[in-house]
Amino acid sequence: MRKYLGNKKMVIALVGPAMILFSVMVLYPLGVLIVKSFTQWDGLNPSVFTGVENYIRLFKDPVFYTSLRNGLVFALIQVCIQVPIASILAFAVMDSGRISKKFFRVAYFVPAVLSITVVSQLWLSMYNAEYGMINKLFSALGFSYQQNWLGQGESAIVAIALVNTWQFTGYQFILLLSAARSIPDHYFEAARLDGCSKMKAHLHITMPLMQETYKYCLIIAITGGLNAFASMHIMTGGGPGTQTYTLTYLMYRSAFRLGNYGYGCASAVMLIVQCMIVSLVINRCVARERIVY
Amino acid sequence: MKPKRQFHVGSFLFRIVLYVYAVISLYPLIWMLFYSFKDNQEIFVTNPFGFPTVLRFENYAKAWNAFNLPVYFMNSVKVTLTVIVFVLIFATMFAYATARMRFRGQHVLRLLTMIGLFLPLQCIMIPIAVLVRDLHINNTLWAVIVPYTAFNLSFAIMVLYGYMRSLPFELEESACIDGASLFTCFLRIIVPNVKTAMATVAIFVFMNVWNEYNLALILLTKDNLKTLPLGLLFFQGEYTTDWGAMGATMVIASIPTVLIYTLFSSQVEKAMTVSGAVKG
Repeated sequence: MRKYLGNKKMVIALVGPAMILFSVMVLYPLGVLIVKSFTQWDGLNPSVFTGVENYIRLFKDPVFYTSLRNGLVFALIQVCIQVPIASILAFAVMDSGRISKKFFRVAYFVPAVLSITVVSQLWLSMYNAEYGMINKLFSALGFSYQQNWLGQGESAIVAIALVNTWQFTGYQFILLLSAARSIPDHYFEAARLDGCSKMKAHLHITMPLMQETYKYCLIIAITGGLNAFASMHIMTGGGPGTQTYTLTYLMYRSAFRLGNYGYGCASAVMLIVQCMIVSLVINRCVARERIVY
Repeated sequence: MKPKRQFHVGSFLFRIVLYVYAVISLYPLIWMLFYSFKDNQEIFVTNPFGFPTVLRFENYAKAWNAFNLPVYFMNSVKVTLTVIVFVLIFATMFAYATARMRFRGQHVLRLLTMIGLFLPLQCIMIPIAVLVRDLHINNTLWAVIVPYTAFNLSFAIMVLYGYMRSLPFELEESACIDGASLFTCFLRIIVPNVKTAMATVAIFVFMNVWNEYNLALILLTKDNLKTLPLGLLFFQGEYTTDWGAMGATMVIASIPTVLIYTLFSSQVEKAMTVSGAVKG
């Protein structure tokens, strides 16, 4: 049996294709990225080693700080809106009947299966200052409040973050719902017998038991914010000026618009480092022990 | 009596919240569907919110004929199907070897592929763009097919590995005693047993690849190679004056994923959320 399962030729034939592809397309580029982040490189000619110069430039670049701020604002908005709303929805749906449960699940999750281009263009037309639905809605309700939502830096980043929030709240909702449903019923029964209200039961039983899922939600929302790119690229083009840049956008522009590949690599490395720090910190602070029922 | 009444008010409020958020979640999509049937006059002035007064199907005809939409659509279909097939073949083979065969370094190899789950993939966009150019595949659809396949391997391997570990090891033993070669055993016994996992993987890859934007943006520069998410962008610049037709292109582009989702909703939810739950 050992010989049968240890067939060397078979192992190579089975592991080979996936491993080669993965090494060439993920591991090798990752190595190149790190090496090239220490060089001056235009993508065509051999690179020149410059040490940490790219990183020093990055830390002096005001756009880097704009990007950092935008990434954090983006993440913060997602966390503060998505997680509470998704939790409330998940708790509320748990008590509804089978058919309405199905309806709500689909209704909330549908935006998450759409392409980012469709979602961004849809909201681009909703935010449109002249014809957009949102301004129209305000005037239909009798407010004279009209706004060029994507025209100013401050409101633009919030507006874009809200689009992403809208798209992926349903996603978080499904994550939380499946976690909440895996909690054994007798926990709630005991709570009810003790005269505990639904709200209290959710607050003191469901939420603490779902801490691990909350951890995932946090990580997804925050890294999603740091990684945001497509929505900015489609909705504002990074503008006005550089006010809606994120780190990925900075990388994209320095490499593919300005031809400064080394600098782009350095910002990509910074992005990886940030995502790692976020995951580490959250893993350290939230839900350190696993809950097994 | 008091606690019971409180309870009632609470669940009533909860129901309201559910419906309100359903409107928030769905109305923008319904609005898009509506305006894909309207003309500019109706969208901007006469009837911005409601059901279209006349169903203008010519918007769809225009979207499909006047623009390059069929080409983009077919590109997306080709890319997505090819990637699904390759991911399934490579990942199943790899997962089988690491889950059930015995060789040195099998765990190291598997853990190595897990890097792909934690790495934000747009970070390696720059080296990939250079690599694709150096491999001379940058003017074909392979420019995106190859990286997409590699990126989706990690998740596929994780799911398939889990399933294969849960199958009893007696399967191979009996196959060996009956004189089947290992390859026959893999193909005839293991693969049919992990069909559900393969379906999950296929759905996940479909959703991922059909909607992928970032890599397509830098790798597909020729117009007749563009996939849908990228092609739609082109309408934005050229035809912003005709909102109805633009709405129609957006609806057409969304049909495949929404259709798959409504048909297999629980599998899609599972496939998409499992991938989220492993990050971290």
